Amino acid sequence: MNAKEKVYHERFMREAINMAELALRSDETPVGCVFVKDGEIIGRGMNATNKTLNGTRHAEFVAIAGILEKHPISVLKETDLYVTVEPCVMCASMLRQYGIKCVYFGCWNERFGGTGGVLNIHSDPSVDKPYPVQGGIFREEAIMLLRKFYVQENEKAPEPKQKKTRELKTQILPMDIHAPKS
Amino acid sequence: MVADEPVASDLVRLGVVPRQGGLVPLRTKDEVRAALETFNAYVLEVPARHAGIVKDVVQAAIPDLKTADFQHLRRVVQFKYLPVHIQKKYRPPHPSRPRGDSGEVSSENDVAEDDDAARYFLISPSSAIAHAELVDVLKRNTPFADSSKPPVILTICVPALAPTSAEQAAKWSVEYWPISYKNTNPYGPHPSLVARNAAEIANDAGGLLGLADAVAEQTFSKGFGEKVACVVVDRTAGINEIIAVTGDCRWRCSGNDAPQRDGPGNVMAHAVQRAIAMVAKKRLRVAGHDPASKPSPHSFCDSPLTSLEEHFYSKDNIPSNGYLCVDLDIYLTHEPCVMCSMAILHSRFRRCTFGRRMPLTGGLTADNALPGKGGYISPTTGLGHGIFWRPSELNWKFLSWEWVEEDTAAMVKDSIKDTLQA
Repeated sequence: MNAKEKVYHERFMREAINMAELALRSDETPVGCVFVKDGEIIGRGMNATNKTLNGTRHAEFVAIAGILEKHPISVLKETDLYVTVEPCVMCASMLRQYGIKCVYFGCWNERFGGTGGVLNIHSDPSVDKPYPVQGGIFREEAIMLLRKFYVQENEKAPEPKQKKTRELKTQILPMDIHAPKS
Repeated sequence: MVADEPVASDLVRLGVVPRQGGLVPLRTKDEVRAALETFNAYVLEVPARHAGIVKDVVQAAIPDLKTADFQHLRRVVQFKYLPVHIQKKYRPPHPSRPRGDSGEVSSENDVAEDDDAARYFLISPSSAIAHAELVDVLKRNTPFADSSKPPVILTICVPALAPTSAEQAAKWSVEYWPISYKNTNPYGPHPSLVARNAAEIANDAGGLLGLADAVAEQTFSKGFGEKVACVVVDRTAGINEIIAVTGDCRWRCSGNDAPQRDGPGNVMAHAVQRAIAMVAKKRLRVAGHDPASKPSPHSFCDSPLTSLEEHFYSKDNIPSNGYLCVDLDIYLTHEPCVMCSMAILHSRFRRCTFGRRMPLTGGLTADNALPGKGGYISPTTGLGHGIFWRPSELNWKFLSWEWVEEDTAAMVKDSIKDTLQA
């Protein structure tokens, strides 16, 4: 990625981070995203699993639902995704089925990442066309947002874990430790 | 009044035709791997009374040898328990004299039969020590140091991982090497857990899949989607309380657009996604937060669209304090795609049963496929994801079965193409 490309991608990832911050303020898992076509944002989303009681309302779903209010489905083939956390296995498959052009993300998701963190749904054998991914854009900020959330209480969880004793860790390990497993 | 089978009678009233057949548990990713992976190992013929000494010699020669890694392989075996192909190698049926044990009938061994005097010792994986080095070490130690006969070492192929059932252990013992089975399954749910759950859901599964068929027929005939559907039930009270039924609505497009039948359609309107959304909306409704006051985007398709969908959606038969789809079961006409498989996992479902396997698109089965060119799949047995049971990688797991029709000849091939993402 050259300097000019870096500026371009960071501009959109900043917008995604803004959405994640909004999620955090709304007591949602702080993951945010924007969809970009021809250099313009055509959709924004943030995680909404707590508000909806629906564990599949990830930022990507919320954003695409908004996009499809105004655009035909085929628009997604010409659209890039910027998301603060690597798409999960479910979203990675959804994006591939819709034919997303490219996915840029902040930090890897070691619990259920679908584009390198755990599985490789973007490139594994499938009837759908593979798509390229690039991770690590504003990675530290994406991780810090998640950590801030995990020291908050999630009252919707079945047996609320005692989080009051949790401390916000601020040290972020270097890239090679938080890189994809395979 | 005693209602014997409330669910069954309910379904009959709705005109559902139950399917006839049975449940087959899916193999997990690790079970598939365990069934396929092998390594080469050395076997040595050794007089019975020296087996212990040889064991010590081997351990001294290979200090890093971790026998725990191949505990499922019996270490010291009598001739009669060897697989036939290994027996033949040590004792060709004709005419050469068997080697090894002729003069070694042990005085400690009161079974004085010729065969029993020799033992067959599984030394180690062949990767642990070079063949020449092993021969050298053995020749320098008892009993081969005192004998004119050189050690007879075979290299054989053995299963790398422990068996997951008694049947598999018995089969491997004939094909590879005597196997011990500890009545556990390190690579998936314990067989008794699977059997207990299958027994619990088996009676109603055919009826619920029949209901899914009827739901699929309704949304399909309206042109909303493909003939794919699912049924979500709560069986925690011992009977199936049907919480939501949904059909695929991928062709029912957003806004005022005419249906677009090319491409994938609206992926978010797959049956599973709609069902999960309706369960969530029901919980909100029961909790007093009317979800209708804030309609969700059209493309989620999360409101009932047919009489069957409406019939079950309208019932307030779910606790408001439940979490996602914890303790709920899901029945599907087809193996769900990767997206929907993971949605089931995210939603913490308890059990999953599907009607037809989707080898090119399904996310639940673990059986492997051969990758084709350029990331496309070649038509074989499956994608190998096995999403339902990968506890070391994903943060939830659930039991899964596929349905097998009683009369396979009567199975009508449905309208679904193999390449469809169900």
